[in-house]
Amino acid sequence: MTLLVIGITAVLGLYMAWTIGANDVANSMGDAVGSKSISLRNALILAAIFEFCGSTLVGSHVTDTVRQGIVDPNALSSAPAVLALGMACALLGSALWLHLATWWGMPMSTTHSIVGAVAGFGVVAAGWRAVKWGMLGQIVASWFISPVAGAVAAFLGFRLIVWLILGRERPADSAIRVWPYIVFIVALVVTISTLCDKALTERVPALKDCLSGRRALILSLFISGLCGLGARLFIARHFRDYDGVSLHEQLSRVERVFAPLVVVTSCSVSFAHGANDVANAIGPLAAVVDIVRGGGQIKMQVLVPMWILVLGGCGIVLGLATYGHKVIATVGDKITQLTPSRGVAANIATATTVLVCSRMKLPISTSHTIVGAILGVGLARGLAAVNRNVTKSIFGSWLISVPASAALTILLFLLCRLVHLDEVLRNIIVPAALR
Amino acid sequence: MSLISELFGKSPFSALVAHTKKVHECVKLVRPLMEACVREDYEEIHRLQDAISKLEYEADQVKHEIREHLPRRYFLPVDREDLERFLHCQDNIADYAQDFAVILLIRNTKIHPELVEEFLAFVNQILKVSDTLLAAGEELDDLAESSFGGVEAKSVLDRISGLGEQEWMADRMQRKISQHIYHLEKQLDPVTIMFYEKMLHTLSEIANAAENTGDLLRAMIVK
Repeated sequence: MTLLVIGITAVLGLYMAWTIGANDVANSMGDAVGSKSISLRNALILAAIFEFCGSTLVGSHVTDTVRQGIVDPNALSSAPAVLALGMACALLGSALWLHLATWWGMPMSTTHSIVGAVAGFGVVAAGWRAVKWGMLGQIVASWFISPVAGAVAAFLGFRLIVWLILGRERPADSAIRVWPYIVFIVALVVTISTLCDKALTERVPALKDCLSGRRALILSLFISGLCGLGARLFIARHFRDYDGVSLHEQLSRVERVFAPLVVVTSCSVSFAHGANDVANAIGPLAAVVDIVRGGGQIKMQVLVPMWILVLGGCGIVLGLATYGHKVIATVGDKITQLTPSRGVAANIATATTVLVCSRMKLPISTSHTIVGAILGVGLARGLAAVNRNVTKSIFGSWLISVPASAALTILLFLLCRLVHLDEVLRNIIVPAALR
Repeated sequence: MSLISELFGKSPFSALVAHTKKVHECVKLVRPLMEACVREDYEEIHRLQDAISKLEYEADQVKHEIREHLPRRYFLPVDREDLERFLHCQDNIADYAQDFAVILLIRNTKIHPELVEEFLAFVNQILKVSDTLLAAGEELDDLAESSFGGVEAKSVLDRISGLGEQEWMADRMQRKISQHIYHLEKQLDPVTIMFYEKMLHTLSEIANAAENTGDLLRAMIVK
């Protein structure tokens, strides 16, 4: 019977992960596909690989926040079944809200939905004390800070690109020279997020020796260096020197030189997105699994079980494989202004911001961060016409998504209580001796 | 549905380059017009005036399209007012070129043999100014690509800075021709003198408009 409970919640989690994969793949791969740097099919394959890796390798941090960082499990220690029910309702409620929002054409964020949902049921189930308002405050603050951070990072990054490449006498040649360093930086960000992680050594004790202390950092630098070297070889083979070509010609070749780089950076964004957003689907699932396994005692495991992370990763991959191509196709035409040189700046800024927030265990909206990054490039005079009113949509998303998702979840939760589903659950989860 | 699909508007820069090219084509017909006037080939003047009129109209259409696709909500890498004034001023260049054609059309004015060389030299100087400006304007695409910074912007700004001096030389030439005309006033009838003045005035307006457009282009780049 307990398996049934876990199974149903897992299906809900998988469904939520599917939604995340379907909708968000355009954010990471949209500019690569739109600028014709890569075919749609290959973009989806790469996105699938990197989303899965991001989810499984780095996804545990934010998952931990969603599972026990918003609603304090100890506040419900006397009624673990309620906590489990609430988490399941949160999944269903936010998935429903996401569908409604899509249907009504409103901007939506998977992160805002799930955080609102979990906080919502927490308040209803066990009063105001049940919610860790301090943590929630930090999370909401990060929703403001992450787009701004993305904007600042992209602004500075693009200024650097202009100084090092676009503003030079031979931009295409400068691009070829700077290429390997950009790959190095991207690889460094990704490897540091993955390897410099205490949780990783605890999960795989075999790696404890080679990843302790400074060694993880050095290993990251080494791997990134290898990536940089590989990049230099790649570019030597594919791009000849553009000597003796006019400035005008050089500028029109620069984007072609940047095209493979935009693919590499888009992969890092996919990785970062998987790391941060998989939690939206499997955080509640992880909570339910811990409660059921704990047999009535709320005792959150230190590490999020691997199979849950894998499930989330698979859900995201399924989502982007089955539905993602439609979303990218719609978006791809409209963002042709984000040429490779601009896309690289925006992508690196986004991936870094999202990965930093993921390691700080903060669930943020990757789409908002990307919008911030693009606005940052626009402020650096890199884009011809940027819609200022998008910021209104961002605020709208915050003001609507959180309460709407919370309301739906509360409704579902109260409905379940009405039909005594919480008692049924209690009978399943808590062994007779402890009731 | 996705936020980023709403982010981008239509880039005005390729349309601006198209407008610049149209204006350039208008101005290219000024020298053939002057030569036809000297040769007294009035059919050719008629034909050229038709051509210029059409090109000026097409430039206007590009201008209207640009204006239509720049609603306030879009944030541009250049100052919006500078861009609109640049467009307006550049359009004036085409307008004055067309005015010149009309002046030649409405009256079969003969150019006094002593003035022919000076008039042709004056036209060349005017065209030097406008060609410099229009060549710079056609680089707006490249300027946008290099984000209005670096080597590209510097080279365009250098070229624009030469406009002031060239326009000043055109002014000097205009004064000299006027003096020469009044030297010869006994040999000319008043209406002819009037038309010479109209021609000189319109031609120098082309150069003035080009110089002002250059100033606005500089303002756009430097922001």
